[in-house]
Amino acid sequence: MKECKKINKDLVAFLYGELQDEKQKQILSHLKECPSCQSELERLRAVQTEADSLNKDIKTVMNSVNWETLPAQITETVFGKEAQEPKESWLMSISRVLSQPKLRPVYAALMIGLFLGALVTYILVRSPLQRQAVADLVSYPPDFMEKVELEMARRETLDYLKKSQYLILDFVQTSSEAEPSTWQTEFASQKVKDLLSKKKYINQQLDKFEMAKAKEICNQIEFLFYELAQVSEEIPAWRLREIHDFIEEKQLLLKIKLLEKELKQSKKSEV
Amino acid sequence: MQRRTTEEKIDVWILLERIKRGDREAFTELVRLHQKRIFLLAFSFFHNREDAMDIVQETFLRFYQKIHSFQKGKNFQSWILQIAKNLCIDHYRKNHSQRKEWRSDKNIEEMNLPSQDNHDSNRASDLKAIFSRCLENLAERQRMVFVLKHYNQLKYKEIAEVLNISQGTVKSLHFKAVRNLRDLVNPYLGGVQ
Repeated sequence: MKECKKINKDLVAFLYGELQDEKQKQILSHLKECPSCQSELERLRAVQTEADSLNKDIKTVMNSVNWETLPAQITETVFGKEAQEPKESWLMSISRVLSQPKLRPVYAALMIGLFLGALVTYILVRSPLQRQAVADLVSYPPDFMEKVELEMARRETLDYLKKSQYLILDFVQTSSEAEPSTWQTEFASQKVKDLLSKKKYINQQLDKFEMAKAKEICNQIEFLFYELAQVSEEIPAWRLREIHDFIEEKQLLLKIKLLEKELKQSKKSEV
Repeated sequence: MQRRTTEEKIDVWILLERIKRGDREAFTELVRLHQKRIFLLAFSFFHNREDAMDIVQETFLRFYQKIHSFQKGKNFQSWILQIAKNLCIDHYRKNHSQRKEWRSDKNIEEMNLPSQDNHDSNRASDLKAIFSRCLENLAERQRMVFVLKHYNQLKYKEIAEVLNISQGTVKSLHFKAVRNLRDLVNPYLGGVQ
């Protein structure tokens, strides 16, 4: 019985002739003596026989296929499909990956996150108390903004003084020449207008930071530029002399230089 | 024989290189070389001509799409049969429920075999039908091993390559397939008990 169990394990291999000679002989001698193992072998052989019987059917079906024309048909189909389906670009493949249905929950989560974030921000900004808290979070020391503004005003004034100085110097030099009327060019006129508009902006800064000395000089410059802007293309000699005298009388160039020096030195203190 | 195998391998490589360059003739030649093996596998698996023809066409389409993934040194026949095998299983799973429904109207048990007195050819044809049904009732891997061994006449080593499993597993699956078929088929065989 024990031997039968052992033999049974090898019966399939025996049937298919896959065993070594010695093992094959051993099973053969057992089969001669054991009717139970013989009938088991017969049952297995019946399976083999039925399996082989299908071979005939398979052969018949295989004969019904036209193997000569099939390769050309398949080639046509495969290459035809390839030609029809354009190769997808990397952009298309990325969009294909991103549009996968399994990513929908991720997109939904992102949308909800964005919505909640927007809602929280809106509530924070709307509520006065929270708004103060947010403002506190981003606020600077109290005197910081003032210092920044003062520095900005100082720089603006310095810039205004420098440009004015160049323009006045140009005027002074030109007016001392034989043909003074050549000074009044379109270019200089435009410059004067620019500096006048700049002065309007500086005025606010000068008032705010009580830069009295600077304001006085800037006002004198402004007056001068008004005069220059009002004169016509042809400047009469007497008018020219008057303006020239005004510059000398007020010592405008010297004052500008001194003020510049002062502004540069006093970065922190008020002018 | 060894020399012939080597020549075939070289031919396959030359064909593959030509196909990669878009050579249709080379593709047709490759189909000509492997079409019967694939048909045999698919027909043995489904016992349906149309299904088998679809699998043959789909296998070559899939092969063309994956041609660049075939590694040098691997057995081409095993590779293409592996593609065919995967397609067979996919196709079977996709249509499995449909087939079950179709089958349910006539189970194996309900099939009345003609008695010995009836015409022998009728009985033989019904036995074939029963055997086909029994084969379909095997587990996928057992069925595939049985088909590859009996109808494609592959060796255990080749089956192992196609199924990507060890030779030992192939032998074990074949043993189980034969034993299960024995249990399924024998009740319908009058002579053998």
